[in-house]
Amino acid sequence: MDADSDVALDILITNVVCVFRTRCHLNLRKIALEGANVIYKRDVGKVLMKLRKPRITATIWSSGKIICTGATSEEEAKFGARRLARSLQKLGFQVIFTDFKVVNVLAVCNMPFEIRLPEFTKNNRPHASYEPELHPAVCYRIKSLRATLQIFSTGSITVTGPNVKAVATAVEQIYPFVFEKFFSQIRNKDMYIRSREQE
Amino acid sequence: MTGRVCRACGGTDIELDAARGDAVCTACGSVLEDNIIVSEVQFVENSGGGSSAVGQFVSLDGPGKTPTLGGGFHVNLGKESRAQTLQNGRRHIHHLGSQLQLNQHCLDTAFIFFKMAANKSLTRGRKMAHVIAACLYLVCRTEGTPHMLLDLSDLLQVNVYVLGKTFLLLARELCINAPAIDPCLYIPRFAHLLEFGEKNHEVSMTALRLLQRMKRDWMHTGRRPSGLCGAALLVAARMHDFRRTVKEVISVVKVCESTLRKRLTEFEDTPTSQLTIDEFMKIDLEEECDPPSYTAGQKKLRMKQLEQVLSKQLEEVEGEISSYQDAIEIELENSRPKARRALVNLSKDGSVEDTTSSLYGEEDAEDEELEAAASHMNKDFYQELLGGGSSSSDAIEIPEEGGQPLALESLLGPMPTAASLGISDSIRECISSPSGDPNPSGDGELDLSGIDDLEIDRYILNEAEARVKAELWMRENAEYLREQREKEARIAKEKELGIYKEHKPKKPCRRREPIQASSAREAIEKMLEQKKISSKINYSVLRDLNSKGAGGPPRDDVRLPEKGSARKLSWRRVAASRSGADPGSSVGKRLRPLVSAQPAKKVAVGEAAFLNSPALGPELARPAAVLVESGPVCYHPEEVADEDDVDEDDGEPCVSALKMLGSNAYGCDGDEDDGY
Repeated sequence: MDADSDVALDILITNVVCVFRTRCHLNLRKIALEGANVIYKRDVGKVLMKLRKPRITATIWSSGKIICTGATSEEEAKFGARRLARSLQKLGFQVIFTDFKVVNVLAVCNMPFEIRLPEFTKNNRPHASYEPELHPAVCYRIKSLRATLQIFSTGSITVTGPNVKAVATAVEQIYPFVFEKFFSQIRNKDMYIRSREQE
Repeated sequence: MTGRVCRACGGTDIELDAARGDAVCTACGSVLEDNIIVSEVQFVENSGGGSSAVGQFVSLDGPGKTPTLGGGFHVNLGKESRAQTLQNGRRHIHHLGSQLQLNQHCLDTAFIFFKMAANKSLTRGRKMAHVIAACLYLVCRTEGTPHMLLDLSDLLQVNVYVLGKTFLLLARELCINAPAIDPCLYIPRFAHLLEFGEKNHEVSMTALRLLQRMKRDWMHTGRRPSGLCGAALLVAARMHDFRRTVKEVISVVKVCESTLRKRLTEFEDTPTSQLTIDEFMKIDLEEECDPPSYTAGQKKLRMKQLEQVLSKQLEEVEGEISSYQDAIEIELENSRPKARRALVNLSKDGSVEDTTSSLYGEEDAEDEELEAAASHMNKDFYQELLGGGSSSSDAIEIPEEGGQPLALESLLGPMPTAASLGISDSIRECISSPSGDPNPSGDGELDLSGIDDLEIDRYILNEAEARVKAELWMRENAEYLREQREKEARIAKEKELGIYKEHKPKKPCRRREPIQASSAREAIEKMLEQKKISSKINYSVLRDLNSKGAGGPPRDDVRLPEKGSARKLSWRRVAASRSGADPGSSVGKRLRPLVSAQPAKKVAVGEAAFLNSPALGPELARPAAVLVESGPVCYHPEEVADEDDVDEDDGEPCVSALKMLGSNAYGCDGDEDDGY
């Protein structure tokens, strides 16, 4: 009857964002002309290149910095980044693959029960913030992990953090708080119904 | 008192009289100090006959008002930046708060929040209006007033989410926990706006009950409180026989019509909606509902499951149909000539084997029906190829409708290519080595393991494709390119005309290195050089300025410079630098544009000594022209020519106020008034 039950929650990673540098100046015009799957945004000064195999979209700047988004795991992100560098090499640039770093991971997780948001906010005052006028979810920040969780009343939770491990830890941390809410509600309901029956 | 020694006799017994403000030596009687500043309260008789204390109230914030001589041009002069910010903030808070009808206590609290925010430097980099609005909203939340963020954004014409962001940041940084909004707070406000007359109170109570019921039914989590209020009020109004249309309600409550409708539908789904009005007022149902989004989610899940079941059934039905088709096909074949059939069979076997093996090589076994359908379709395809004539087309036409062969072909068209893509990928996956970990040292070398060059080659277009793409891109972005060209043409034209003013994007002000100078004179010189106000400054004058101190104007030491008008300039410059020392620093600022305007005029004025300069002046009312107009007034004696020039300048009405200040500094005040 405690909240210690080990529930196998499915944490789905939906997006991994990473950056890397090529340490060489890239001629965006050339990439735009010769790449098969690129969008050239001249007014901003970047090229969007989409790969099919790991489904990722990369933003390429002329300074050589590249941001990769859309991967579904860290390894896939690295794989895609390397592919991208390879294709740039083929185009003729002296590309060096350096400073690869995963910057952001977005994951979604579903609780099998609904969550009472106003009470949840009251109990978790400094970390949680809830503005129903602005956004339907509670925004819970964990400073130590630098992770942010968005908790919806349906029980689905969106987590963003610097890497996959942080995201998993964040979900583990939040679970007891959230479960407590639900459980106490059930317990109250039980007691209420029982008292009614007795009458 | 502290041991002070009398200057005359050396005695140490000094008496301080606070009332008279004197310090007198008791030994010899010499007055040591006169007019000591006293801190006694003085009283002054006012017109009514009563007496009031002399003095000013000085506020806690900031150094307080310094008494400005000459009328105080700007209230914010001479204060440090923090005090200015706070004062501005206070003014804005009062202005905005009065529009929201907040009472004084709330406004004071808001000002305290603002002070805290300023202390934590949260006002930097943000629009003042946003910060003020956030402070006000914070107060509204803590006090529980029925003000929405939407109201504030209405007043300021700012996006409500931008305001919300600032508000959240402020609440977090100041560690203020704003209590959650209760939609019940808004009911009286909206009810009043909807004008229910005498029954206002009853309608409000009903609406409140409805709201509480909604809360129990979990309709309020994650929803805008105003939307719930609107729905509750609408129902309550109807219950009490008031006709309030949806439009009226949404104009008061500020939500969208569809939102209101949705809330009403959700409420309809709850069991409470089944009660009659009387029942509702008396009974309170016990059971609680799930939140509507949760039920919607459950519904979706159920729909999905239903769909899956249905699709399975569909497949079975399709399977049956295809088996019927097969049977028909076989019958038809049997009725056709044998030779062709033999050929067809041969090819059929070969093709079927090929396709099946290639399609389903290493992948899992597909559904039997799909396989059958695929082979069946392939059969048709090859039949068509080889048959060629009308008979085969007949054969194909019979089982399906008229235009089908074309459809089949188009169906099959993409299929083999998609299949081939699929094949190549899967084959490649099996052949290529698994992507191992790249060098952990990260020496920058591109680890090519697992990267297939062939596929990447496909990403690179060849010549013809590149050309086509370039053309496409040009066409797409034609507008942007056109704008760029126009801009360049415009710049070139302006350059020709010589009026090209380069609009550089606003760079942040480059901080100049602090001027290292050993004396004030050097500092002024360097500053003038940097600011490039004029290269014709007479430095000798400046040097003497310093030596004279803040005394009278350096009349004696003015040497005639090369250009007559330059002296004028130096006077002005002196005036500027002098008045800059006053609290009236803006005066100095005003002088500077005058100064800078003059170098332009220098060309016009020329070498002519200004006493004899032609009167270009009359039509030019500008002070620069004053230079020229010194001619007519030649009755002033020569030795005070300098002074005259100053006077003449002062004579111009447009600079009178300015000059008064400037001339006040010199102490020659009497003449100017007579001058004009």
